Amino acid sequence: MANRTNVGGWLQGKTVRKGGITSTNAHSTRSNTPQVQSTSTTVFGGGVKDSSGRTSEYFSMDDQCPVCKSDRYLNPKLRLLVSSCYHKMCESCIDRLFTLGPAPCPICQKVLRKLAFTPQTFEDLTVEKEVAVRRRIAKEFNKRRDDFQDLRAYNDYLEEVEDLTFNLINDIDVPQTEARIAAHRAENAALIERNVQRDEQYAHALKEQEEIERQEREQRASEARREEEMEREEREKGRREIIDRLETSSKNAAKVIAKSRAEANKRSSARTAADTVLKSNAQLLRSRAAQSTVVPDVPHVPLQDDWYAYEDIYTLMSSYEDPYSEAVRKDREGIMRAGGYRVEEAWERALRSAVMGLDLLPLVGQGISDVDKDPSSQPDVVMAAA
Amino acid sequence: MDAVERANTERQKRWVKDQKVGEGTYAVVYRGREFATGRKVAIKKIKVGQFKDGLDMSAIREVKYLRELHHQNVIELLDVFSSKTNLNLVLEFLDSDLEKIIKDRTLVFLPADIKAWMAMTFRGLEFCHRNFVLHRDLKPNNLLIASDGQLKIADFGLARDFTDPGHKMTCQVITRWYRPPELLFGSRYYSTAVDIWSVGCIFAELMLRTPYLPGETDMDQLKTIFRALGTPTEEDWPGHTKLPDYVPVGQFPRTPLRDLFTAATTDTLNLLSKCLIYEPRKRIGAKEALHHAYFFALPYPSHPSKLPKLSNNTSSRPLDEVDGNVDMNASGPGVKASAPNRLKRKLSSPGDELGGRPLARRLDFTQKRS
Repeated sequence: MANRTNVGGWLQGKTVRKGGITSTNAHSTRSNTPQVQSTSTTVFGGGVKDSSGRTSEYFSMDDQCPVCKSDRYLNPKLRLLVSSCYHKMCESCIDRLFTLGPAPCPICQKVLRKLAFTPQTFEDLTVEKEVAVRRRIAKEFNKRRDDFQDLRAYNDYLEEVEDLTFNLINDIDVPQTEARIAAHRAENAALIERNVQRDEQYAHALKEQEEIERQEREQRASEARREEEMEREEREKGRREIIDRLETSSKNAAKVIAKSRAEANKRSSARTAADTVLKSNAQLLRSRAAQSTVVPDVPHVPLQDDWYAYEDIYTLMSSYEDPYSEAVRKDREGIMRAGGYRVEEAWERALRSAVMGLDLLPLVGQGISDVDKDPSSQPDVVMAAA
Repeated sequence: MDAVERANTERQKRWVKDQKVGEGTYAVVYRGREFATGRKVAIKKIKVGQFKDGLDMSAIREVKYLRELHHQNVIELLDVFSSKTNLNLVLEFLDSDLEKIIKDRTLVFLPADIKAWMAMTFRGLEFCHRNFVLHRDLKPNNLLIASDGQLKIADFGLARDFTDPGHKMTCQVITRWYRPPELLFGSRYYSTAVDIWSVGCIFAELMLRTPYLPGETDMDQLKTIFRALGTPTEEDWPGHTKLPDYVPVGQFPRTPLRDLFTAATTDTLNLLSKCLIYEPRKRIGAKEALHHAYFFALPYPSHPSKLPKLSNNTSSRPLDEVDGNVDMNASGPGVKASAPNRLKRKLSSPGDELGGRPLARRLDFTQKRS
């Protein structure tokens, strides 16, 4: 009774290793509830797996087989499995009814096979069914946003998928829905295949990354161990040294000890300093990345003022009648060009200086009178004074 | 003269010198503050007297250009005053520079960080160039970082404005590792391209975390450059053999940048190679660089406030603790902070049994869906 009142009965489910039931005893020390035990020789696969690849099996003290009415009191090893029509049955019933081949379900008369029975994960069988349906649908309807031209098309597609799923879950127009699914499969076979491969690659990459991080952790741990070992050895050595020195030297014992203590301290502090520098790169990167989520980064803005909005004030010509720069432009030796000097820059400067103040209003008020009163605002004057 | 002196003492009173923070060849730098507001400033006291003919050239240059240039990415000169025989420049106080940040091995740069620094450098430089000022000493050491993360170009001691045609400039400028080949070959006529080369070297240094072209002498510098980028041919750089100090330094083959910058994107390398073109006239300009595809590509440049900063001991402590927690529950969220999107995907779709798809999909009305 107590189990029923809890939310999500599968939380109390027992964990069965993917490979087989025989290994379940391995975790028996952890729990005080009886383990799921199988009386059948058949290994039933399927069921909903959690992220670690295990199947959590739903299990309750008032389980009763709807077919033979046997319950946990009569048969402590009772294990209920779910048929493809989502009816529960105990293992002995399954063995009895289906060992000789496909047979109708005793509840709904649908023809079932023995191997199509799966362990139960959720207390509510409609959830079990929904999960199975969604899993099946997701396998074939695996298009992504980038497979569509616009968001609208993608949303329409999601809507359609949801429709199909809903129909299957609630047994509405099943033949028609199946036909639609088959049609979709036929139409998009290549795309589905490609997306499956892409997902696999992604999962693979994820696994690889995990593996790399695991190795890194291990390496760090072993480094730490080695360091500890070294430190211990060093301490040991130091102690021996003190004893040796006390043996051989004629100095004051307290002085000798203090001296070697100081030496040891110096050594160990040098080591810790080195340690802080040698922090692993990954760790640093991690803390750096964790920092960088507070203020959002903004796209690059090349220039943050309107300087070049006034470019049209003048037009720089390709050449000018300019006796001053004639020698430069001729550049007989070619050294101006090689050095990167541009006479255009000089021209541009001259032009810009000429037009720079054209549309500025003359200075009035504070600025002018300030300068008048206070000639030292010109740094040159100050220098002259100095 | 009296009025000038009075005004000067008035100015002097506005600022308070605190302690000495550094000493250069021609100046001593003090930390100080504004008397009225308490705002932190740096006061650069120029030593006068040890030069026969008055003030040191670089002090004059610095005042001359900083007085004119006001930009978010250029250091601000707040005031100038004299005390006894010294000239004092009051500058914005900026506590770190890019060199210190590059050298701090506990900091990790994301590609977005480098992009942000480069954007700020180019923006500041573009501002100088549009005002016809050549900086002529760009290096990480001279790119200061404000406490809010803004990068500011500083040290205009070697700056000068564009010359009139036919006027010679000195080629003994720019710290050697960041000096372009045309200056190493002794060209006396050059342009904005010299600064771009320095920025290219800084760009590479940000990615490598070590100087890109560290030559030991001027001769060796040329060799280092050619070893990295290949000896230029007459076609690469017309006329370079006629430059005053041209000397052949040996033939080196060109190695693709990709070999050294293995993790960089194509855009990144494209911009870098354009900054390091031998022929100065073909080298990218600062304005052009700011419009380069590199800056528009994802990831966006980091927000200045998020850029790596020099860590004080106090601030590094909590970070360590975070790391520890993350390692403890290795399967929990947040472990793969480096790839948050992938992690999210994984949690919502438990593996291959479900064909990598979430069980139920919701209708999706947002335009952005990863």
